[in-house]
Amino acid sequence: MIDIRNLSRRGFLNMTAAGGAAALMSGTFARQAFAAPLPAVKEEDAIIGFGHVGPVTDEGWTWAHHQGVLAVKEKYPKLKKILEVENVPYSADATRTYRQFVSEGANLIFDTSSTGDFLHDVVKKSPKVAFMECDGRTDMPNLGWYYLAHWYPTYVIGVAAGMMSKTGKLGYVASFPVPSVFSGTNAFLMGARSVNPQATLQTIVINSWFDPQAAAQAGTALIDNGCDFLFGIMDEAAYLQVAEKRGVWAAMWNTDIRRYGPNSYVSSVVIDFKDFYVDQVGKRLAGTWEPSQTLMAMGKGVDRDKWGEKVPAEVAKAADAVRDKILGGWSPFTGELKDAKGNVKVPAGKTMTEVELYHWDWSIEGVSGLSA
Amino acid sequence: MDLITGLLTTAFLAGGVLALAAIGEVLAERVGIVNLGVEGLMAMGALTGIAAVTATHSPVLGFLAALAVGAIFGAVFAFATVMVKANQVLCGLALTLMGTGLAQTIGRSYSGMPAVATFEPIAIPLLSDIPILGKAFFSQNILIYLIYLILPIGLSYLMFYTRHGMNMRAVGENPAAADAAGISVNKIRFLYVTAGAALAGGAGAYLTLAFVPSWSDGVIAGRGWIAVALVIFAGYRPGMAALSGLLFGLITALGFVGQARGWPVAPAFLSMLPYLGTLGFIIVPVIAWQKMRRAMAAPAALGEPYYRNVR
Repeated sequence: MIDIRNLSRRGFLNMTAAGGAAALMSGTFARQAFAAPLPAVKEEDAIIGFGHVGPVTDEGWTWAHHQGVLAVKEKYPKLKKILEVENVPYSADATRTYRQFVSEGANLIFDTSSTGDFLHDVVKKSPKVAFMECDGRTDMPNLGWYYLAHWYPTYVIGVAAGMMSKTGKLGYVASFPVPSVFSGTNAFLMGARSVNPQATLQTIVINSWFDPQAAAQAGTALIDNGCDFLFGIMDEAAYLQVAEKRGVWAAMWNTDIRRYGPNSYVSSVVIDFKDFYVDQVGKRLAGTWEPSQTLMAMGKGVDRDKWGEKVPAEVAKAADAVRDKILGGWSPFTGELKDAKGNVKVPAGKTMTEVELYHWDWSIEGVSGLSA
Repeated sequence: MDLITGLLTTAFLAGGVLALAAIGEVLAERVGIVNLGVEGLMAMGALTGIAAVTATHSPVLGFLAALAVGAIFGAVFAFATVMVKANQVLCGLALTLMGTGLAQTIGRSYSGMPAVATFEPIAIPLLSDIPILGKAFFSQNILIYLIYLILPIGLSYLMFYTRHGMNMRAVGENPAAADAAGISVNKIRFLYVTAGAALAGGAGAYLTLAFVPSWSDGVIAGRGWIAVALVIFAGYRPGMAALSGLLFGLITALGFVGQARGWPVAPAFLSMLPYLGTLGFIIVPVIAWQKMRRAMAAPAALGEPYYRNVR
């Protein structure tokens, strides 16, 4: 019953959520029957909690969320307390962490990297507390989720990759076969194929979001195999360092880390949760918070980073033209799209919805290494 | 780069950390002390390496600092197990817990931070022109030469061709006889346990200064334990320890190359290879070394504290 490809970005999706996902798939963003909104809280009394998957010093995912925490602190300096816990594992320890937040009197709790059921247990038992789960897929009366429409900037970077790769062989260092990785690899190759229809994408799954050793080895293996443009979804810079050493291009995730490979760095899918966190905390204080589902659009929470120093000007220009087109409302994710086996999955002329993109769980033709 | 060269290059690099730690453990076990603290020593070494290189911008100083920290922790361990004669297994486990915990706590500010300077490859003239091996081995960083050539050859010579080496092995086989022959058992044990621990610290630094190269909590990821298992497979010989490290590196490299080349094997299976390898490394000696049992056997006094006044 559990389909491995329905796993969420940082956690394993539970079976109940699979049902919820199916409901979302049909395109309904409808909210569940919703109890009376949680009452307003005075800033001096409010406690906000954040649970992170990694250390705030990772210069990646958790660092970006921590910037959001700092923004909240700046906007609401009188908050009674901000609770922040790093390295929350995907285990019963997560449940304990969030239960601790609740018992300390938190009013609004963010799980910055979906811990699934381990969070939901606490959510169910704490109806007076508001919860937001990043990359979540479950709706409850006091639980909402938020994530990034990262496939658009990824497509833009893919366009650059298609123009810059000489071999047409692109490499991807993947964590797990989860929707973020499927949409990331697919969007990346689609961007590349829009300029080089012969381009292919090889992925290596390393079973971690943060394993510099494995990522470095995976990057090396990809380059040895002829890939001259690396992309991936890692919380550290290991494969960028490999690319720099071997003289190939690389694009990253989360933040601007070009200093680890100034010659290889092309761009990043950069993320920014500052406005979102400030907005959510404001709503909770005002008593207008509702469990919302947000996919932050390109330019509003997720974007491509400023192009790397060595990226040719005409490449940057062409890719930015595509970016402008997308910002103008055009979607590249329009049929006909075939999966790796050649079956038509999206008929010609049909555009995939945001929710379909969020739940993407199959590889397009040309992407290898993800689905068996 | 062709398949074999690429595979071997990665194998030498990836196996280096295990080879170095295993060579260190060989030293300790040859004099009769089981050091299960390798994992903790490597964690401390990895952190020391990155901290020292951040401060000095010199990978050599980083590596030396890691050796020193390994030696300091090793000396404490040796004091407990050789002088006080405390239980070696418990002390080793304590060392692992302490090392990983300390590294995690102290290392918070270094987490995810790449090394500012690393060991760069040095191609050896002439030798680096040999097909396959030239690129895969003789164009690597200096630690690789240390791990696969200098240490195994030097230590093998020391252990098997010098009187001091005989003394050292005698201490591990029969400390009472060695003592009667005028060898200072405690001195030799203390020396080699400390030296072995220093190498384990160095193995951690190899990871953060030459291989990954950055520090993150859990960067050792159980490789200390694998190194302990390799020592048994290697028959307590430095040369074999280096080779088994290389073999292990080859297994991990295969997993990634297989995925990169799209071999029709499930990625999950390929990532399983190192652990299957460890199992194999434990089972093989039991079966295959049967005939060579005497040559590959563990030192007779392994794990036993030596009391002069008993018996």
